[in-house]
Amino acid sequence: MKVDQNLCLRCGGCVGVCPFDAIEATDGSVGPNQRCTDCGICGKVCPVGAIRVGKKL
Amino acid sequence: MERSYDVVVVGAGPAGSVAAQAAASGGASVLMLERRREIGVPVQCGEALSEDVLKEMKLKPDPSWAVNPTNSVKIVSPSGIAVRISERRVTGKVGYILNRKVFDKYLAIRAAEAGADIRVGTYVYGLVVRDGRVCGVRARGVDGDFEVEAKVVIAADGVGSRVARWAGMNTAIKLDDFESGVQFQMVGVDFESPSMLEFYLSSRIAPGGYAWVFPKGEHMANVGLGVLGSRAERRAIDYLRDFVARMPGLARGKVVEINAGGIPVGGPLKQTVKGNVVLVGDAARQVNALTGGGIDSAMRAGQIAGEVVADAIREGDVSEKRLREYERRWREKMGKSHEKYLKAKNVLLGLSDQELDQLAETLSRVDFERISLTDMLRALIKSHPKLLWKLRGLV
Ligand code: SF4
Ligand code: SF4
Repeated sequence: MKVDQNLCLRCGGCVGVCPFDAIEATDGSVGPNQRCTDCGICGKVCPVGAIRVGKKL
Repeated sequence: MERSYDVVVVGAGPAGSVAAQAAASGGASVLMLERRREIGVPVQCGEALSEDVLKEMKLKPDPSWAVNPTNSVKIVSPSGIAVRISERRVTGKVGYILNRKVFDKYLAIRAAEAGADIRVGTYVYGLVVRDGRVCGVRARGVDGDFEVEAKVVIAADGVGSRVARWAGMNTAIKLDDFESGVQFQMVGVDFESPSMLEFYLSSRIAPGGYAWVFPKGEHMANVGLGVLGSRAERRAIDYLRDFVARMPGLARGKVVEINAGGIPVGGPLKQTVKGNVVLVGDAARQVNALTGGGIDSAMRAGQIAGEVVADAIREGDVSEKRLREYERRWREKMGKSHEKYLKAKNVLLGLSDQELDQLAETLSRVDFERISLTDMLRALIKSHPKLLWKLRGLV
């Protein structure tokens, strides 16, 4: 999973739905930690589509 | 900052700040940690608050944060039938549209004045656990990493609370219970009345949620919507752009700010105390499932949590059993209404756009000044027997 920092509004929504506690959201950036399984759930809730999921990243 | 406190509060939203203030007022030493560098920024969605909660918190509405009083609502059905309700007649309430940037900071200042220490720009990334017991938090601030000891940790870190997960609870939220919200602050817009909250229901506008227009003054409004993660086919912001473009009063307005937020709408968590970790606000999902409004409940829960935690610390007993008084008290205060809202939400979600139109058509002919909500629902069921089974839970 990858977050487009220009689009991301730092709302923290993705953190709440990630079943693997795999998202770190500080004031400056939002992104995955090593627990991310690329399951794609967070991408479904991002209100601005800042999250890309998939192998091609 | 000390290295050891009675209470560490993670998150400085309304729930965290009110909890910190109440705990500090009760004599506990309190540290509140906030990942954002500026409390209240970025704003999350929804900025409406009821007058009742301000009274309970002994807060006098100040024009710097209570920017616009509201006293009525308009609910618009998918085909455009409007139901207008003067809120006070139905629920006995009026409210305010808030400037959250000012309000959240004001609540934090009250906590500080009560004696709480505050660290902003400080990211909590783990708990200190010894012998299976939470003894503090690990955090990263401007001066690097540090650990701070705590007898009790209050998790006010929002929906899907990571603090609670680290304490061993499974708080990750299901897509079915999660609204993705996005909001434009707009200027140069027109609406029916500055004191009227507008809600738009339609699977086309906002699948599984609704769109709102909350006036912030003449020609200024928060315009937003929430969509259910499991029903939306596009990004929330795409739905919002479409909504704005289709509304004559909004289409020519300018967007001066974009906010976003995730809203838990599946009802409060069953368990809100785990060991010496206490969950408040969105972390405990104390959110009105029908409206998605969470500030009222967050503040009420924060107040109770702060009081109970301070008492527990004074008594020297911070066991889960002792801290469960918090859970008992908040459920006593608002458990029933949360259940009712959840029921109502589930009923609404089960209605088709056509059924919503039928309902609105009947409701638009009701004189709300003469009829109670229950009578109204009864009348409704009579006129739409097919809706009966869906609505019966509400009466
Ligand atoms: S949900 Fe989207 S906008 Fe919100 S923090 Fe995550 S990536 Fe950023
Ligand atoms: S892709 Fe799945 S595991 Fe990775 S951050 Fe998103 S929700 Fe978590």
